[in-house]
Amino acid sequence: MKQLTVWAFAFACLLSTQAWAKVDIQTWQTAKGTKVMYVHAPQLPMVDVELMFDAGSARDGDQWGVASFTSNLLGTATPEHDENQISEAFNDLGVQIGSNAGRDSASIHLRSLTRSEILTPAMKLFAEIVGQPVFRQNIMAREKARLMTGLKQKTVKPQAMLSDELWAKLYGDHPYAHPVPGTLKTVEALTVEDLKAFYKRYYVAANAQVTIVGAVDRKQAEQMAEDLTRSLATGEKAAALPQPKPLDKAQAKIIRFGSTQTYYTLAQLGVERGDPDYYALFLGNHLLGGSGFGSLLMEEVREKRGLVYGVSSGFYPMKVPGPFQIGLSTKNASAKEADEVVKQTLAQFMKDFPDEKLAEIKSNLIGGFPLRIDSNSKIAGYIAMIGFYDLPLDYLERFPKKMAELTKEDVLNAWRKHIHPNKMLTLMVGEPNVKPIEK
Amino acid sequence: MVRIGLFGLVMALAWPAQASISKFKLDNGMQVLVKEDHRAPVVVQQVWYRVGSNYEYGGITGISHMLEHMMFKGTESLEPGEFSKVVSKLGGQDNAFTSNDYTAYYQVVGTQNLEKVMELESDRMRNLVIKDEEFQKERDVVTEERRWRVEDRPGSKLYELFKASAYVNSPQHHPVIGWMSDIRAYTVDDLQQWYQQWYAPNNATLVVVGDVDPKQVYEWAKRYYGAHKPETITPPKPRVEIEQEGERRIQMKGATKSPSLIMGFHAPSLVTAKDSQEVYALSVLNSVLDGGDSARLPRHLVRGSKVAVSAGASYDETSRLESLFMVNITPSEGKTLKEAEAALWEQIEQLQQQPISEDELKRVLAQSEAQYVFHQDSIQSQAMILGSLVSIGLPTETYDNWVENLRQVTPEAVQAVAKKYLTRDKVTVATLLPNGEGVQTPSVPVMEGGVR
Repeated sequence: MKQLTVWAFAFACLLSTQAWAKVDIQTWQTAKGTKVMYVHAPQLPMVDVELMFDAGSARDGDQWGVASFTSNLLGTATPEHDENQISEAFNDLGVQIGSNAGRDSASIHLRSLTRSEILTPAMKLFAEIVGQPVFRQNIMAREKARLMTGLKQKTVKPQAMLSDELWAKLYGDHPYAHPVPGTLKTVEALTVEDLKAFYKRYYVAANAQVTIVGAVDRKQAEQMAEDLTRSLATGEKAAALPQPKPLDKAQAKIIRFGSTQTYYTLAQLGVERGDPDYYALFLGNHLLGGSGFGSLLMEEVREKRGLVYGVSSGFYPMKVPGPFQIGLSTKNASAKEADEVVKQTLAQFMKDFPDEKLAEIKSNLIGGFPLRIDSNSKIAGYIAMIGFYDLPLDYLERFPKKMAELTKEDVLNAWRKHIHPNKMLTLMVGEPNVKPIEK
Repeated sequence: MVRIGLFGLVMALAWPAQASISKFKLDNGMQVLVKEDHRAPVVVQQVWYRVGSNYEYGGITGISHMLEHMMFKGTESLEPGEFSKVVSKLGGQDNAFTSNDYTAYYQVVGTQNLEKVMELESDRMRNLVIKDEEFQKERDVVTEERRWRVEDRPGSKLYELFKASAYVNSPQHHPVIGWMSDIRAYTVDDLQQWYQQWYAPNNATLVVVGDVDPKQVYEWAKRYYGAHKPETITPPKPRVEIEQEGERRIQMKGATKSPSLIMGFHAPSLVTAKDSQEVYALSVLNSVLDGGDSARLPRHLVRGSKVAVSAGASYDETSRLESLFMVNITPSEGKTLKEAEAALWEQIEQLQQQPISEDELKRVLAQSEAQYVFHQDSIQSQAMILGSLVSIGLPTETYDNWVENLRQVTPEAVQAVAKKYLTRDKVTVATLLPNGEGVQTPSVPVMEGGVR
């Protein structure tokens, strides 16, 4: 029988000898006042450019879905080009372009080769579709019909039902509460005028950020950011969002649906991006359910009992506190047991956890740090986040150091301060073996 | 468990190769491929076994995938789950996936930890311990995985049914995860046998991509993997798919609001084709239909006639057995499945009647060329391509010569393969219809919340 070498993990030594991977982030403002985040990555002849606006569904007001729809229609027409010409031009150049809307932001992302005969026309068209969009009635009608089909389809997708219900229940009348694409009723009511008005208010230089990562030098990056934002109106930053109110007591709901599994979540409000407690919460979450195999939830629910394929927990820090949630799916007959195990595991974790576990998870986070920044797309994701949420520029380098400094008390104190197991939301979609209590 | 073809993951193509691939062979027959990428102090190790669902037969379908799960459950020197814990302590990520043609295990770690994960991976190549108690629990996990992936997703169920209809006697008839009743009936003996039979150095390929020195990797490979004895590998018996002699149709009802349809045609792959240029022509054809927003299906069916809310095509050029050329469509509201299907046929017939334009051909090449550079942003996808090619018996250069081969494709060649393969007598059509199920209202029972 072969013995494997036993490896010792010495954090102190790890800390002193391991040079932190450095990401040299540069930032400046364009003439129009748009923030630029830039990292030079010269090794591959490609570049990622993202234009991001504080124009997610949190800005919908009572026109749910208007932010998402506006983002969707970018690139469908400009005064110079129609839909087919635009899609052909991008495809001819081999560039990838896509837009995306969430609750906090809406963004358009372009990935291109850096050869000037490709990058120059690609950037020119990119600037045109974001700076001079035309919202055509016929295209809007077509996309509305497609979206309505998708929204109807959501009503038979248990995971989508669970997610919509989670936001609705946790956020009540807060701008985060409604689904990003809107609802059948609100989408039906949207008009071209609504999109134009939304664009005019939020797609402005002061409310935008440009992220550039790739094989373009600083001078080129400055020029690209100028060209991209030149035709945007100066405008104003979006107003601060209201603070959501946490639940004042435990809540539970079952949505009866004929799936073979029960889709389950246990949730409450978490923290906002930049909260000083986030480091301790993040480290604790990694241990509880954020790190896949080896996390406490995975051990208890999957490894010991075979109840699930996957279970995880996570904080989603946003402009204002995003959710903290634990999620899983299990056959209907084990829903009750899974619910109990999750709640016990959380309670036990918040009481105490072994020192050895803390050491292991620190080792994972510190040793694994280079993996978080080993590609242009990962770096672009991080620096866009750092800029958008006004985090310090040394956020990335600071991260492993913070992980190393945290003690068990720090972690437990942060969790006890923010997480309240007696005031959480339990949701299930499916046919769980749970007896409803008649009110 | 994932299914990968070059298509869908990435499309490789000819571009001056950035880094050469170092190839070694150990005395016991194990292949070693190393590609340097020094952009970050990180490395990925993947070990690929030439076994997957296409090696299985009735009664034990999905066993390759079940074994993949058991590979994390301990060896003669490691406790169940300890493998992943060690990798996690190193700051690494690890996982595995099973496909039709291969099963692969991978770790991504800081460069300084490569030797350690090579030692760990070589240990479980031959020293796995399958305990009944662990197996019982893990089998439950796999049934949950099947529920999550397939049972509650009508679209996935339809695809399963479609494959089972398109393939009658080929092992591609059954899903990678296996049928539920087979999953429930595995024994520890079945797994033990499967492990013994296929998990051997001469049936495996080691792929390492990242911040490494190939010579050093080769030395470690000799030390760790080279210690194992080879097995006699008996390839599975040929189960060549019977000739299709007429259209096949199948229908399924499920919890969906929108009906949808999948159509597929038997087509060669780079492994099975007599003339590989046919495969490159089919690859171009696939991109002409569904390579970006300007491609024909989104352009004509979603935006033009508006007959569909979505329409797409897919084709796996790198399958070890015969491949399928597939198209799918979801009709717009107010349009029938019949109209949607007719619209697909109309697109196919156009391809058969007229050559594609030079512009379309150029567009496919431009996208492929860019894609080749883009995929190098990830050490994982670079390793994936190498491992998957070698595991189905294709040369590693397949990848570097991809675009060169696409360049040889003429509009007439695309027309010719459209005529030859996309025929009405060789089609399998699977349709999904709503079963009328939805949420049962009212649904607001309350139970006790909070932690007990």
